[in-house]
Amino acid sequence: MDTIQLSLKNNRRAFLQSSGLCLAAMAAASMAPNAARAETLRDDPSGGLAGLPHHKPTAKRVIYLFQSGAPSQFETFDYKPELKRLAKTELPDSIRNGQRLTGMTSGQASFPIAPSIFNFQQHGQSGTWVSDLLPNIARAADKLCVVRSMHTEAINHDPAITFFQTGSQLPGRPSMGAWVSYGLGTLNQNLPTYMVLLSRGTGRAAGQPLYDRLWGSGVLPGQHQGVKLRSGKDPILYLTNPAGCPPEIRRQMLDSLQELNGQTAERTLDPEVTTRIAQYELAFRMQTAVPDLMDLSSEPQHVLDRYGPDVTKPGTYARNCLLARRLAERDVRFIQLFHMGWDQHNDLPDHMGKQCRDTDQPTAALIEDLSERGLLDDTIVVWGGEFGRTVYCQGTLTEENYGRDHHPRSFSIFLAGGGIRGGITHGTTDDFGYNIVDGAVHVNDLHATILHALGIDHNRLTIPFQGLDLRLSGVEPRKPIMEWFA
Amino acid sequence: MGDLLVEKTGGPSVFPYQPDGLWEELAGGANNGPYQQSSGEDLYRRSLYTYRKRTVSHPTTSTFDAPAWEICNIKRARTNTPLQSLALLNDTTYVEAARKFAERILSHEESGIESQLKFAFRVALSRLPTERELNNLTAGYNRYLEFYKTNQEVASQLLANGESPTNAELSPDALAAMTSTALVIMNLDETITKE
Repeated sequence: MDTIQLSLKNNRRAFLQSSGLCLAAMAAASMAPNAARAETLRDDPSGGLAGLPHHKPTAKRVIYLFQSGAPSQFETFDYKPELKRLAKTELPDSIRNGQRLTGMTSGQASFPIAPSIFNFQQHGQSGTWVSDLLPNIARAADKLCVVRSMHTEAINHDPAITFFQTGSQLPGRPSMGAWVSYGLGTLNQNLPTYMVLLSRGTGRAAGQPLYDRLWGSGVLPGQHQGVKLRSGKDPILYLTNPAGCPPEIRRQMLDSLQELNGQTAERTLDPEVTTRIAQYELAFRMQTAVPDLMDLSSEPQHVLDRYGPDVTKPGTYARNCLLARRLAERDVRFIQLFHMGWDQHNDLPDHMGKQCRDTDQPTAALIEDLSERGLLDDTIVVWGGEFGRTVYCQGTLTEENYGRDHHPRSFSIFLAGGGIRGGITHGTTDDFGYNIVDGAVHVNDLHATILHALGIDHNRLTIPFQGLDLRLSGVEPRKPIMEWFA
Repeated sequence: MGDLLVEKTGGPSVFPYQPDGLWEELAGGANNGPYQQSSGEDLYRRSLYTYRKRTVSHPTTSTFDAPAWEICNIKRARTNTPLQSLALLNDTTYVEAARKFAERILSHEESGIESQLKFAFRVALSRLPTERELNNLTAGYNRYLEFYKTNQEVASQLLANGESPTNAELSPDALAAMTSTALVIMNLDETITKE
């Protein structure tokens, strides 16, 4: 191959693209992702960006256990014994301090304090306070970094989840997993980089819907979008050959296709054709790798038992937690579970009990299972919802029953593994659990922290978009919480 | 290529083939669920007419880089992913189109496998195949034919993909073999990519 052919091979489609750019497109280029500057990829099969990671990572992968609907901090991690004394008294204006309320409670004549009817205990050597609703998670207290001082800017589900997922309340930005896939590329050659699993809790049957853009790639190329691992017969869309096409025929078709596309590659010297050949082969490998992932027959009974009885049912949180561990073992970079049903506007004690029963044992099992296999060392696990819940009661407050509305000013999440220290409790809220007193962590700070664990400087993972260097952590100055790291 | 496309303009949105359960997984079946697949010509309209549910986009749009309509996009991303390969090989839409394309190929006036494959190539790529390409496709066709001849049941399963009727005058084993060949032609980089 002579020099001209070589340079053609490297640049043909790129050349055609750039020569096709008209002036208007060039002017608009700063508004379009990837148009203004071509990213340079690392010289390895990962497909990640050159220059990344920026520093030595403490984690290789992420398991994000998203509790969709927003679990109450008062019944999980933010222990407020003082509230018992204040039960049924009015929330002082000095505490509410003009905070906007949702339309669901803004018309209420009264905002009576509703203490948790569930007790808390201290657990582990760290003495971390955990509610009695979460006895299994409590057992892992010394592995957890409990954050009681999260705050967000959104007050309704969709913008709030979108904010957590993409760093912006406005739809259309890339999701966390897509950013990580874009920056770091893949760790394995048989499965997608970002995988998403959904489950529905028993606490609120008709809970908030999710949207597939929550794991979308936004303005990044579609290859970075989260791939949903479904519970039915086709865990990935179109994974199964059509009826009447047995594997041996499919293999022959692919061999034929590979040869024909190979001839095109020889003739045109177009690297995109070579990529196409590789993608068909990857698709073929996925047809084996995914059923292997979903096949739990090699899991011993004591492991299944640990995740609880729901593990036998596809599509449950327990099953998804076990699959999350199997995905981590297979080096999928970003694994995200969404568990629906945490939206306890009413009947909180009953519904919260059910939600916690669905999730407590499997969550703890996942952390312990990862830990025993040495995977927790380089996997960062995050548990949390999109905002918190109000200290005051929504609806009628009785001794046994109450509800809580959405509350963005303070709520609790936890992290574990991937270089994060266990047994710490970060941040304090006031006696009402309404405002943060100390250690506030903004959603974008959490983004910066997760990226930091993966070896990424959140200020430097950007794409040019709408005149800004768009980044997951937004436009305001944000920082990773360094004191969480060992 | 399969001549299934209905070029009608206007009218209400349609509900083409979509894997079961997609709406229920996210939106719990609420709001107009479950997905009621269209039938007849509404299965073969331009994708412009596909019903858009904001919470759950049709897999064709998300897999093939359609903008999400939530933010102004002045440049469409162009990706090349394994999910696209799986969709193009396994989605009923394309398997059915391959079958209809195969019917056209086998009904071509000049009989004989070589002239039929030359015709197929011209329809798909506006050029004739090279000798190597023709040999590859002919050899493939003969292998599939051998298989489907001895597995008539499997052949009829393949021909049952999609709602459109099958041309009963064609032999099922030849049609199944040509459907597989047509699917290979439809999946060529040169077919998929507009140069």
